[in-house]
Amino acid sequence: MAKATPKNSFESSLQRLEKIVETLEEGNTTLDDSLTLYEEGVEISQACMEKLSQAELKLKRITKKLDGSFELFDEKLNENE
Amino acid sequence: MLVKARGNISLYEARGSYQLDCYELKLAGEGELQRAFEQLKQKLFSEGLFDENHKRKIPLYPERIGIVTSPTGAAIRDIVQIISRRFPSTEIILFPVLVQGENASKEIAQAIRDFNVFNKVDVLIVGRGGGSLEDLWAFNSEEVARAIYDSTIPIISAVGHEIDFTIADFVADLRAPTPSAAAELVVPNSIDVWNTLRTAIESSHRIILENIRNSFQQIHSSVRSYAFHRPFDTLRQYIQKLDEHQTTLQRMSEYSIQSTKNSLESLSLRLASLNPQAVLRRGYAIVSAKGKTVSSAQQLRKSDTAEVQFHNGKIFVEVVG
Repeated sequence: MAKATPKNSFESSLQRLEKIVETLEEGNTTLDDSLTLYEEGVEISQACMEKLSQAELKLKRITKKLDGSFELFDEKLNENE
Repeated sequence: MLVKARGNISLYEARGSYQLDCYELKLAGEGELQRAFEQLKQKLFSEGLFDENHKRKIPLYPERIGIVTSPTGAAIRDIVQIISRRFPSTEIILFPVLVQGENASKEIAQAIRDFNVFNKVDVLIVGRGGGSLEDLWAFNSEEVARAIYDSTIPIISAVGHEIDFTIADFVADLRAPTPSAAAELVVPNSIDVWNTLRTAIESSHRIILENIRNSFQQIHSSVRSYAFHRPFDTLRQYIQKLDEHQTTLQRMSEYSIQSTKNSLESLSLRLASLNPQAVLRRGYAIVSAKGKTVSSAQQLRKSDTAEVQFHNGKIFVEVVG
């Protein structure tokens, strides 16, 4: 499947990181520029790693109210079928 | 195959058997469902609802996943369990619906539309666990099909068993053979993403170190280069010239001192030889009369007195002739 336009910041962060590595690997950047890019890359990857280390899945239930707006509730799955 | 037959029943009394003279035959039960399925499938296909280029791309790293399914049942449990394991840093929003029976297709279609209004999820999973053709029938409805087609949020269908194909599967942007499979497809494995991040940073780090190393090398070779040394070379040449001039100057002054000395020496010698005392010592005498030096014989006459100066004294003389 072709790459989708990122709809969220996690995905666009990863795409940006990929671009940074590509640019550095091309080898056409000055030392100054490559250091700036590297710093950006480290920042991005740290933010992503932080997000990834969130180990608790959030499960919510959505209901539609009478006025048409939506409300989210924390959901716990009951074990019976 | 189940059929519905319409006809006249006649009784053959002798044997006691009944006979149905059939003048109308229809598919019934599953057969009927099957035919309805084929018809709808054909209709929607020709309308373009199954077109590949209409299908939306499924995001690689969804942060929020919407699920349209029963709140009880294995489907939601399996999905939650698998996503928890693979990529827990995501959020699942469940819109509970009936997944079989009369009102199911209406609820499923509405849930899809509602998610599109809510518009805060990156992808939808629409499905249910396995069942008979009748159980899955809601996912073959035109209503659900159109709701899936109109959704701007990408939809993964996850209906029933591996081998079941519903209309929803054809319209969806991606078909998963089961709800569990959908969960595997919708999120990546955190470990893989982690490795990708780590590799990216390690590669970048290595490249930066190389760049720095190259820069140092460039500096070193510049410093060692000819162009860098030109000013020093020029300076050195000037210093050398200065030295030479100094040496020459030194030599020349020594020479002139020497030659002056020589001249002085020869002059002294000459002077020494001109010393009157030296002349006197050679045997000459200075004759003087009346205070004046006598330099010729004609200057003195007989009985004149004169003074004769020798190197070691003087005597007085009288001229006899």
